[in-house]
Amino acid sequence: MSKREGQKTIFEFNRYLNKRVRVKFNGGREVTGILKGHDQVCNLVLDDTEEYRRDPDDPFKLLNETRQLGLVVARGTAVMLVSPVEGMEEISNPFVNVAES
Amino acid sequence: MATSSSGAVAAQATPSYLPLALIDKCIGSKIWIIMKGDKELVGTLRGFDDFVNMVLDDVTEYTFTSEGKQTTQLDSILLNGNNITMLVPGGQPPEE
Repeated sequence: MSKREGQKTIFEFNRYLNKRVRVKFNGGREVTGILKGHDQVCNLVLDDTEEYRRDPDDPFKLLNETRQLGLVVARGTAVMLVSPVEGMEEISNPFVNVAES
Repeated sequence: MATSSSGAVAAQATPSYLPLALIDKCIGSKIWIIMKGDKELVGTLRGFDDFVNMVLDDVTEYTFTSEGKQTTQLDSILLNGNNITMLVPGGQPPEE
């Protein structure tokens, strides 16, 4: 994959092109989608995107439901976190156990 | 508008889509905008600038609250780009 000369983003999006990534946004929204493109300011093109629904009474809690958005453009100004879905694993909160014992 | 600058970059051998070039292609057609909060808008895109502030026509604004969905109909708006998280070309209205 050719690297564009000039400015380089700190995150190598090219490594994740056509792979499924998880994106979290400022404001709490969370989606996964197949990365199809990006630019210097972290705007992303995601295909086959699903948004994780949140509990309307507790927006910090993600429900297991998703809704399909399809092809979307994610705004770089709102992107908080990007990570590949492959290899991701959710662990139980280690700090809760420490407090109990 | 974003056409000239992003169009020039797209002409080079970039293997991927450029986000703003994609939005530029949506001018004149329906777009679904998902905001940071619980608001979503569906309307016809007339134009946008470098900050992705947008001019939209025939807009339906959806606000999701724990009580349900509220809709507002607007003829023509200038939408500040500051609170936009996602743009969905062709945008179908939210179904729930």
